[in-house]
Amino acid sequence: MRCRPLLSCLALSFAMACTSTGDGDAGGTADGETGGEDGGNAADYPLHSCADVEGPCVEIPAGDSDALQVAVNSLEDDTTVILATGIYEFDNQVTIRADGITFWGQGRGTEGSFDEGTILDYAAQTTQSNGVDVVGDRFTIADLAIVDAKKDGLRIEDSDLVTIQRVRATWRAVGSTDNGAYGLYPVKVSRVLMEDSEAYNSADAGIYVGQCQHAIVRNNIAMGNVAGIEIENTQFADVYGNYAEDNTGGLVIFDLPGNPVVGRDVSVHDNIVVNNNRTNFAPQGSTVAAIPPGTGTFAMASRRVEIFDNTYEGNNSFDIAVISGLPIQGDREKWKLSKAELVGDVTGLNLLEDDTGEFVYNYRSDNAFVHGNTHTDTGAGAPNTNFDQQLGLLLQIVYGASPIDAILYDGWDETSFDAMDPALNSNDNHICIADTAADGATFASLNMETLIANSGVLADLFRPAEPYAPFDCGDFVSGPIQPPSL
Amino acid sequence: MRPSLRITAHPLSIASLAVALASCSSDSREPFRGVDLAAGAPENLSDMNLMEWDGENITYAPGVERYELNSWLFSDYSLKDRAIYMPEGTAATYRDEEVFDFPVGTVILKSFMFPADFRTPTENIDLVETRVLVRFEDDWEAFPYVWDHELGDAVLRVQGDVRIIDFIDDAGVAKTSNYLVPQKNQCSECHLLKDLATDEDYMTPIGPKARHLNRANTSAGETKNQLVHLQAHDLLVGMPDLADVGAAYDFRELLAEGVANLDGPTVETAARDYLDINCAHCHNPAGVSGISSQLFLNYDNTDAFHLGVCKKPGSAGKGGEGRTYDIVPGDPEASILIYRTETEELGAMMPLIGRSLPHERGMDVLRAWVAAMPPDDCEVAPSP
Repeated sequence: MRCRPLLSCLALSFAMACTSTGDGDAGGTADGETGGEDGGNAADYPLHSCADVEGPCVEIPAGDSDALQVAVNSLEDDTTVILATGIYEFDNQVTIRADGITFWGQGRGTEGSFDEGTILDYAAQTTQSNGVDVVGDRFTIADLAIVDAKKDGLRIEDSDLVTIQRVRATWRAVGSTDNGAYGLYPVKVSRVLMEDSEAYNSADAGIYVGQCQHAIVRNNIAMGNVAGIEIENTQFADVYGNYAEDNTGGLVIFDLPGNPVVGRDVSVHDNIVVNNNRTNFAPQGSTVAAIPPGTGTFAMASRRVEIFDNTYEGNNSFDIAVISGLPIQGDREKWKLSKAELVGDVTGLNLLEDDTGEFVYNYRSDNAFVHGNTHTDTGAGAPNTNFDQQLGLLLQIVYGASPIDAILYDGWDETSFDAMDPALNSNDNHICIADTAADGATFASLNMETLIANSGVLADLFRPAEPYAPFDCGDFVSGPIQPPSL
Repeated sequence: MRPSLRITAHPLSIASLAVALASCSSDSREPFRGVDLAAGAPENLSDMNLMEWDGENITYAPGVERYELNSWLFSDYSLKDRAIYMPEGTAATYRDEEVFDFPVGTVILKSFMFPADFRTPTENIDLVETRVLVRFEDDWEAFPYVWDHELGDAVLRVQGDVRIIDFIDDAGVAKTSNYLVPQKNQCSECHLLKDLATDEDYMTPIGPKARHLNRANTSAGETKNQLVHLQAHDLLVGMPDLADVGAAYDFRELLAEGVANLDGPTVETAARDYLDINCAHCHNPAGVSGISSQLFLNYDNTDAFHLGVCKKPGSAGKGGEGRTYDIVPGDPEASILIYRTETEELGAMMPLIGRSLPHERGMDVLRAWVAAMPPDDCEVAPSP
């Protein structure tokens, strides 16, 4: 084991190489005297230990939160920090501000337990802060659980090349509005891999990939959150193999207004999105408070989104909806972005422009391709919908006792609509639906603006049989989705 | 990204060496002042030889300049004492909008203290911490020193601290602060900016800008403008005529007059400058911790939407409290900005760190500002 920053060594008082240089009483700053000799008991480090690591490495004795705080606030770049099996309790967040940091525990434990593996427990937090808060390139975190953070569980911001593996973010209270907002939250990160991780009971989104470029989100579990998995204002995301159950909404994709990262090229496939009927417990007024219980997936204000080969079952409102951003922000000017301030790659997006040609709008959903999904027991109706979730209420009113169609398109900004004749429906936004009745699919185009105004009935919708012309296109006009490059 | 922490390689050996040297050298010789940049921040504040605390007063060493700011930067009502040291023979270079360009080796000291009773603010003072910003060759770096009154010194405590502090405010009301001494890394929550040209992050002080420092202070019966004073002592170069230097609102006027007696434009100026110093270190287009919100509260932001007017937050979480827009003109009680800056609910409070209590006089200013805006309920029906 190597140990570089002497202060950390003294404070942690476990590194033989360091303690041998002092006079035994040298740890003037040390509060943590709990460490054993030379990295402590091997049984405390069953999964990872500094013996396996090249380069600077520190082991944090089991439960020694103060030692951990000293270590992370003294980090040199490219250090590995290894936590022991055990519970670390915090009154403040763990803040990491260095590059090349690896942060490893000894296992994330199983949901419902709070004493297995490595637990970072923030129940006693008296300051408002996140659990683990990171700004740093080449950051890796794995094999630990973050419990009861006051704000976000794991927040990683403004960083490049981030890897999140086998991390569990959770709150003890189920369905509580007082829980923190986001479980696992990379924001403004380029090149992020999140896999084999879990998020439970967050009052906003369990897994929230926001304003990122190049993201792989795979094989994660999201349960008991308001939004299970959220891909927001993100470019080039491959989202697959995830499991979303018992959230208010399972897996959602959207842009919010005013954000210079215009989302694009999001591929959502081979996920399991089931029984997302939880009563919405988001704080009133938050964006996700508008998600109707029973939501499988929606793509809102999104472009170049492909949703395919997913399994949907038991979502009481709908499985997949493609919708405009205008219902949540009706003022188009709020969606106005100057071309000069746009971040990332906007080539080939054909964004709506203003008269000057200097600004674009991103409220429109266009180029969505939905195919090959399976749909079971969709749209039974979600009686736990409230007035904040207007889309859900509208669907219940319109559909009455009939099951809601599995796949919905709001038809906002289409030049023409007709409830009967396919030839009288435009498909300006290039929405392609190729799911089959054999796999349980039904489809409706809602003509939402009129529907809201007139609170219509089922006969007012366009509900074609397959192949759903004119929504039966089979590809993107601007070429296939570009995968993320990590 | 930023460079990593330079911790003193051998804190004790250097300290004992310094003691040894001091005892060998003649008494007339000035001790080394500031921070040995090669060695990094020392373990004890006293090793900088810049300030002392006798239990009642802070005394600064020669060459250390005390200064004050026009604006109120709120930290749970703590009283603050600010001072700056620049190595002998060096000076800061004036800049209009940005923090002055300080020479390598500059040390900025900011001490936080609570009198037991703010009606007698010079008595029974608990000096809690001294935060130190050091200008290294390539970047600023921040260090939290916590006072140990038995030791009679402040000790570097990178892990910060959370403590409960009871005090009586200036109206005689008992208050309790959950006071946060920030961790070393938490300093970057307020002090980190992004260079938009290079996309590189860098640390910066917040207060010592022309507009915050441009004020007259009275000391020992003499009234002098702080900038003029620095210039006269060759500590500031490149300053234009004082008449051409902007000034933030001087909150001493507000304290004397009360917000109700200020006219509309003055309230707006005060509110914008309050937001500027308390919020805009994150909420500006180059604020690493604030860019994602797209809420920009810097005083020179002229875009109403990014100022929050009828703007829905990106992710207010529980900070929304059922409110929809950051600012609803004419209606402070419907404005998220008012709620978040006032609430004591963990997870909803703004600023993110630095307060556990609401700042009543600051809130009065913000409320008056929002209330005076031409009313607009922000509701726009979707246009067809």
